[in-house]
Amino acid sequence: MKKNLLFLILLIFSLSSCIEILDDLTIHTDGSGSLRYNINLSSNKIKVNSILALDSLDGQKVPKIEDIKEKVQQFIKTLDAQNGISNVKIEENYTDFILKFSCDFTNVLLLQEGIKATISSMTKEKNISELNHNWITWDGTKLSRSIPAITLNKVKELNQSDLEQLKQGTYTSISRFDKAVEKIGNPAASLSKNKLAVMIKTDTYSLKENSSILENVIYLISNKN
Amino acid sequence: MSFKKQLLFSGFLLSFLIVKAQNSENLIPKDAVTVFSINNINLFQKISLDELISYDFMNEVHQELFDGSTSGSTLKDSGLDFNQKLNIFYGKAQKSEISGFSFGVKDQQKLFTVFDDFDLIDKMSSEKTKVYGSFFNNLIIRENSALLIRVEPTMDYISEMTDSIWYARGNESPFDYFGDEIEEPSILDEKVFGEEEIIVEQETNLFPDASEDPNVKNYYELRDSVQLVLQQAQLKLILNELLVQNINLPSFDSRFANQLTHNSEGVFYMDNARNIDKASGLWYFQTVLPSLYKDIQELYAGNVILGDIFLKDHAVQFDITAEYGVGLGAIYKEMNDSKFDKNILKYIPNNSSGYFSYNVNMRKAYEKAYEIIMPILSEEKNAQIAMNVLAIELMNEFINKDALFGTYKGSMFGSFNGFKKIKTKKIEFFYDEETFEYGERVAEAEEEMPIFTYGITIDRKDIPEKVLKHFGRLTSKIQNKGNYWVFENAIFDAAPLYMINRNGLFILTNDEDLAVNHVDGYGKDKINRKAGKKAKKSGFMYANINVAETINRFPMDVLNDRQNEIIQTLKGKSGSLELISSKTTSKKTDFKFEYIFQGDDTSGKHLLDLINSIYIIVK
Repeated sequence: MKKNLLFLILLIFSLSSCIEILDDLTIHTDGSGSLRYNINLSSNKIKVNSILALDSLDGQKVPKIEDIKEKVQQFIKTLDAQNGISNVKIEENYTDFILKFSCDFTNVLLLQEGIKATISSMTKEKNISELNHNWITWDGTKLSRSIPAITLNKVKELNQSDLEQLKQGTYTSISRFDKAVEKIGNPAASLSKNKLAVMIKTDTYSLKENSSILENVIYLISNKN
Repeated sequence: MSFKKQLLFSGFLLSFLIVKAQNSENLIPKDAVTVFSINNINLFQKISLDELISYDFMNEVHQELFDGSTSGSTLKDSGLDFNQKLNIFYGKAQKSEISGFSFGVKDQQKLFTVFDDFDLIDKMSSEKTKVYGSFFNNLIIRENSALLIRVEPTMDYISEMTDSIWYARGNESPFDYFGDEIEEPSILDEKVFGEEEIIVEQETNLFPDASEDPNVKNYYELRDSVQLVLQQAQLKLILNELLVQNINLPSFDSRFANQLTHNSEGVFYMDNARNIDKASGLWYFQTVLPSLYKDIQELYAGNVILGDIFLKDHAVQFDITAEYGVGLGAIYKEMNDSKFDKNILKYIPNNSSGYFSYNVNMRKAYEKAYEIIMPILSEEKNAQIAMNVLAIELMNEFINKDALFGTYKGSMFGSFNGFKKIKTKKIEFFYDEETFEYGERVAEAEEEMPIFTYGITIDRKDIPEKVLKHFGRLTSKIQNKGNYWVFENAIFDAAPLYMINRNGLFILTNDEDLAVNHVDGYGKDKINRKAGKKAKKSGFMYANINVAETINRFPMDVLNDRQNEIIQTLKGKSGSLELISSKTTSKKTDFKFEYIFQGDDTSGKHLLDLINSIYIIVK
């Protein structure tokens, strides 16, 4: 069973070059917040459906929709039980193949620990190297963000031959705050008109070529100012 | 030298080569049902053993023979005699399954560097014939030929013999079907008949546990022993027949012997009549209705597929003949007696990467099959068969065969027309500039999709119209567009399927262009006259595939593992594949399958690829 989830992730990423990922993090002043993570494969419906119609691919069993639903429920249950994480929800749309994940957390450290523990628990594997690093740090006025290594590795496995598709795929990362943003480290990022949100967007091809393209450090206006 | 002398000399040389040089085929057991016999194995001298065994047909035959010790070796170093044929065979009878290959031996010492884990079995060897054994296989060397063979008793036969011994010894069923707890099957203790009394008399209260007594075998240990004994007995039987009585496949089946005389690079033989024993679905008939089974066997008698393989400079050609017995031959003759429907050519575009036509007359086939098979079934004195016969006869009376076979006549065509972008819908996120909050909206999208067209010939166009009309009332997804019908999101819930019911054809396609712009065919853009003529002249079947455009671009995602495996063997190649069939007589149908390739690979390499594809298909 441990390969099911990993294979599912692999399946979603590596076979659907034209993928839209939206990663939306809200951090309140006290460090608590919420995370929304959406995977949209609706522009690759035919390909995803044709893969799901197979029994196996490259020697791996292709999960059925029912298997995926079961895994999703297991993920919700396990993550919801983690310390500092609550209100875990996943909206599943298997017609257009859109998965929308959301949860609340008390601080980003617990969020990351909770996600790591959940993946380890579901794969029954304790040493997943991709889970060793933290991709979010927050000190009250400064947020550092990158992309989870597990996501980056899957992006790197995308088929180079689907170049056009890769260029159409997008990864959007949004960070939201209660206070206004003072400075943004990554010049590719843009600030919302209300100055409370920062968005950075790239295509999957660029992300595959340069894994640090979405790394960003965001500074908020401190109370002293 | 005069022409007469030259002719005499050539004749002498040829007969010498045939008589003297090629005798490995005499080591093919008569129980072989499928044989590939490669005449000119010089072609393969440059192929490394590692490469050779990577093919399924070699790897599966004797995979453990070629271990790491042969790495880097070529066939040339293996002591084989390249003037003899290499014969790869497989056969399954009721009691055993055999597989292996026979070949010529030039240098025994070199041969044993390849077959390095075989030991001589003295008791089975004689002065002329040496028998060697490894864990699963046996190597037999007689004079300058060798046979590598694996004999395995069938599971059914092993079970039958094991059960017989097990119960004769007074044991109870080793399987606890109805127990609440499922016990570990490895602890199935055998009770030795008569031993209980002795134990009771001794009153030791130590009832011996058979699993702890090394002298008493449990069920699975007994089964292993039975398997070994049966394997040895079957091997002895086959070797005795082959080496002592000199009964081999060429002497047993003159059709195969005749095939071996052909001046081709290889021959292919498959005896379908004996293959029928292999069909596990028929076990019911074998055991419950033996007379019906015998009738089915008789129906299949004489059914054999014989083939020649010709290697040309840039082509591999297979000439295949499917021979039939009287009964099936009569059915096939009627089935294939069908006029080619010229209308199908209109719907195959000139730039099609691959297409086929299949031209049969289902009505005639049905009537002939009814005439031949029903009397066989009617003679069976079995209640279930009698009820089935009655049901079939009643259906035959009541069903409107004009409507049935007018709707599905049996002829069809298909084409793969490359890839096209087709319109689909997708969900996309959009963002508010003020807050970066986002919403979702439906947007147009395009996905690349393989374009297929499939059509059947039809006389009763009113029947599909009737069905579509009623379905159209049930769901808005099915719409009548005047000249064609469309079923929205029919393919993977994303792409539309178009249906064209015109010109005596009912066509299904995902090609919008065909439905919208070419509803009466491609006109001047249809398949060219020469290609059309070839399809028309072919018997009941014709296929033409541009390998580079079709196989290399074929969407592997839509195939299952087995189909994938077949396609993979042809990937990376260029050229064309063409299948032509003759008119079917009551005795046979001839097929010609030609693979014309480009590139530097030898035709031997291409042949191995094709043999492998065929092996995967027929295995």
